[in-house]
Amino acid sequence: MSIDPRRKEKINRYKAPKNQGQSGGANEDMMPDYMNILGMIFSMCGLMMKLKWCAWFALYCSCISFASSRASDDAKQVLSSFMLSVSAVVMSYLQNPAAMTPPWAS
Amino acid sequence: MRPVFAFLLLALLCFASTKSEETDFEEDDGDFAEFDDGNFYAEPAAKNADSFSGGAERIESQDRPKETRKPVQNVESEEEDGIVEDDDEFEHFQDEEEFEGYDGGDSKDPPIDQKVEPKLNIPNIPLHFRTHWDSYWMEMLMVAGLLAYFANFFAGKAKNARLAQLWFSTHRALLDENFALVGDDGKAENENPGLIKESESLYTLWCSGRTCCEGMLVELKMIKRQDLVSLVAGLMRPQLDQAHIKIELTRGVMDAFVFAVGTKKTITKVFKEYTDLSKFCSLVGKPEDRYNVPTGFGVLSEVPEATSAILESRVITALNKYQSYIDYLHISDQFSGPIQQEEGGTLKQPETKAVLLAGFNLPKHAEMETIKPLLLLIFYLMERLKTYRMSKEGKAKSDKNRQRVEEEFLKSTHAARAEAAAQRREDKRKQEKERILADEDPEKQRRWEAKEQKRQAKRNAPKMKRLAVKSL
Repeated sequence: MSIDPRRKEKINRYKAPKNQGQSGGANEDMMPDYMNILGMIFSMCGLMMKLKWCAWFALYCSCISFASSRASDDAKQVLSSFMLSVSAVVMSYLQNPAAMTPPWAS
Repeated sequence: MRPVFAFLLLALLCFASTKSEETDFEEDDGDFAEFDDGNFYAEPAAKNADSFSGGAERIESQDRPKETRKPVQNVESEEEDGIVEDDDEFEHFQDEEEFEGYDGGDSKDPPIDQKVEPKLNIPNIPLHFRTHWDSYWMEMLMVAGLLAYFANFFAGKAKNARLAQLWFSTHRALLDENFALVGDDGKAENENPGLIKESESLYTLWCSGRTCCEGMLVELKMIKRQDLVSLVAGLMRPQLDQAHIKIELTRGVMDAFVFAVGTKKTITKVFKEYTDLSKFCSLVGKPEDRYNVPTGFGVLSEVPEATSAILESRVITALNKYQSYIDYLHISDQFSGPIQQEEGGTLKQPETKAVLLAGFNLPKHAEMETIKPLLLLIFYLMERLKTYRMSKEGKAKSDKNRQRVEEEFLKSTHAARAEAAAQRREDKRKQEKERILADEDPEKQRRWEAKEQKRQAKRNAPKMKRLAVKSL
């Protein structure tokens, strides 16, 4: 390339896509949101119905949600999901400290 | 005769009574043996029922001889029943097995000292600690899983960051040669020029300041190495690290046409997903013969002339050489993103842009140098788009296509637009009515009402007329 293609006057600054949900469309990664919701449901099941495995699954869900969250996402949401699932685990063991029985054993 | 008869009867009775005693004791022993084992409560209900019913039978058999004996005893003479009675009635009191553990007054066991209580050791352990730690194996498994997840998270995160940096450092020189601005975070002062981390597996790079384009956005979509679940899912459906390049072309740089080439799988996917491709393009049959693209590649073309101009020998060579690294190339002057779901309120056609999109697979073993020529291919295509001009026929065809799409859009939204217009008119009338009613001049109100009635009549009249014509 003989001519320099660079043009200083044509510089456009980076604009973060306004609506992330729409810009990516099908390519948008919905994993953290799904995991967040799933984690919340599991936490609630764990807390209300005293199901230990639900509480543990909630913890896993919030871990996955944390691992695949975007940098622009709200950190508070991830943190609250974590706290909820941890509290579900703690509460279920405070109420009944017996070991968890695998579903096939009962 | 009589004494002989009596003797015989006595002998028979003796025999019968001794026989029944023997069977009694035998059966009793058996009966109690079951209780002794302590199995009574543990045994299944059926067996219990058996034992109960057996017991009942035995009780009956126990009772029967006594009953038979009673009348006999009454019949017997007083001097003879002494021997039989002693054996019969109280012998089982001497039987040790009969009353096990019963401390009878006349037992031979040494008397137990009542003051010394038997020492029982009851450990003072809370209920839940009696279960051994081994029973918490599920919890241990869960915690181990969490630890493994976090260990993988940090390792995967570091690897993704390393790969992204490697891509950037490999292509840096080339990007610097082509763009006045490489790496921008969008803030007032460009704090950290370079890659922007969107998530642990997505890095972006914005470049701008070049002829024929407004800007270039590179997205490095890595395998989600930080997420163990995705890694496991990836074992079943293998994924690759990918670089997606999106170049916004300056308006008017390229002629109006839409075109895409890529692996068949991706092409069929984007054909359904993107508005411009689905509306303007058609899938080319046998692209291997027509355009010499490598096997396994598909072509979406709007204007055949433009397609063959883009897929010229140099591009075909590059496609053949980097077949495994090229996912798709998409050139369009009508790009408006993926197909929007029906929202009802879309009365305007979506805004379109001229773009050049490309998706590349990153090499597996971090040999970034091997894919460096692909970026050169992109720059080459950009220059080619700038210089290439379609023939008149081609232009006419593309214009016709654009018109057709616009008409289709207008047709599809006709009902919605008519409804919106009617709504607007109605709103306007309502506003006017309110204004008139607010006015305190009755004359004005009357006039407005008359006008309104006239309009209503006018609106209904032509319909009647038309109906009359039709009926004729």
